[in-house]
Amino acid sequence: MISVSKLLCDLDAEGDGLRYDAAADSDADQIRERKQQKPVVVWNLTKQCNLYCEHCYAAATEERAPGELSTDEGKRLLDDLADYGVPVVLFSGGEPLVREDLVELVAYAADLGIRPVLSTNGTLITPEKAAELRDAGLAYAGVSVDGLRERNDAFRGQEGAFDAAVRGIEACLDAGLKTGLRYTITERTAPDLEDVVDLLYDVGLDRFCFYHLDYGGRGAAIRDADLAPAEKRRAVRRVCDMTREYHERGEEIETLLVGNYCDAAYLVEYARAELGDDTAARVREYLRRNGGDPAGERVADVDYQGNVHLTQFWQGYSLGNVRDRPFSAIWDDDSNPLLAALRERESHLTGKCADCRYLDVCRGASRLRALGVHDHPFGPDPQCYLTNEEVESDDVSV
Amino acid sequence: MVEKTRRSNVGDSPRGGDQREWEVFVRKDDTDPMRHVGSVSAPSPEVAHEQATRLFAWFAEDVWICPAEETHRFSTHDLDDDAKPAPHPNGEEGRTHEL
Repeated sequence: MISVSKLLCDLDAEGDGLRYDAAADSDADQIRERKQQKPVVVWNLTKQCNLYCEHCYAAATEERAPGELSTDEGKRLLDDLADYGVPVVLFSGGEPLVREDLVELVAYAADLGIRPVLSTNGTLITPEKAAELRDAGLAYAGVSVDGLRERNDAFRGQEGAFDAAVRGIEACLDAGLKTGLRYTITERTAPDLEDVVDLLYDVGLDRFCFYHLDYGGRGAAIRDADLAPAEKRRAVRRVCDMTREYHERGEEIETLLVGNYCDAAYLVEYARAELGDDTAARVREYLRRNGGDPAGERVADVDYQGNVHLTQFWQGYSLGNVRDRPFSAIWDDDSNPLLAALRERESHLTGKCADCRYLDVCRGASRLRALGVHDHPFGPDPQCYLTNEEVESDDVSV
Repeated sequence: MVEKTRRSNVGDSPRGGDQREWEVFVRKDDTDPMRHVGSVSAPSPEVAHEQATRLFAWFAEDVWICPAEETHRFSTHDLDDDAKPAPHPNGEEGRTHEL
């Protein structure tokens, strides 16, 4: 997760707060540090969803799938995550609001000192539900919208989904919940990007997260709808330009890019061209400390059946199951050669990524996309849009 | 004399979604033991082998695939609602013998 607004406009990154504030209840440096080293855990509570989105990484379905972790099993999972020092649990799906125990689980996580956040299509959020989630301790609701009315409803498989999602956003904002947009940029959704931001800013939203398509679940089946690298570069530039234009008008929106750490390298190049070498050097240092692609390290996924995955998008491969073994033991098991290699991926990457001068801020970006296109988890990310000159330049002044 | 570890048979909850789940075991070379490295989703053992090969070809010489539902798990871990205590022979038996 890369905060464009922080890097280009000096806006404090709410994303950092969402990740790390769970440690704010302690003044002990070592506790803060320990929590920052643990992954954010995405928990797909259910595979069931009331929509049928073309790009759904969880391949969610209308019917409830068998094998969901029960409420009690979920609480024992949260106990383990809290003991392990996980700072944030992202309740996701499917659509998490179809689970009747969502509020109970959010409250349980909050009581354990985990920061509970939500990923939802927003269509089931009523004013009453928003108030319940707020009272339970929910720290943030990310609502998915992928275009204006026509494009969104076609992409998300249901007429009326856009209007229902906007009503859900309004309910969250009225309840005082920190709320943001989740927007997946593809060939089909890219044309509406600025218009959606303008519309939802007028509704009251000020946080906008833009996701690149990853090739998991139904996302793998619509690879052809992913933007070509050059178009992707233009879309990222549009996000950067739009963010600066908002800030120049005094409208301090927060914008973030997710799912392609090539963006980190591009932001350094953008900062150098638009804001000068000093800013570019500062941006690069921040992104280097941010650590690049987080798969297998700073983000983890537990699916509705308890299978543990390297990221939420990579659900075709499981490291283990929390019904057999604690999450903490699965995640710490470096005897798994793939997990261990991901954690020292610099020495395994091949092709363009291996010698890239931005390796320290990107770390090869998506290993899942590399696997999907090259049949190799350490091949180059096919969605890198840097030019050869940018990748190979010896100019490391920024 | 050492008390035996008490385990439960972890329940038979489904592990795959649209496709079957397959446990994957690999070894780096033929002198190594097989190592469990997780599971993949696939419609058949052949496709599961392909999936595992894509993930571990850079590492493993041998790959074994086993249907997850045929893998009976006995664990001391107590998260599973449906886990049933495994039969536990009465008495204690020596695990080590001091000479």
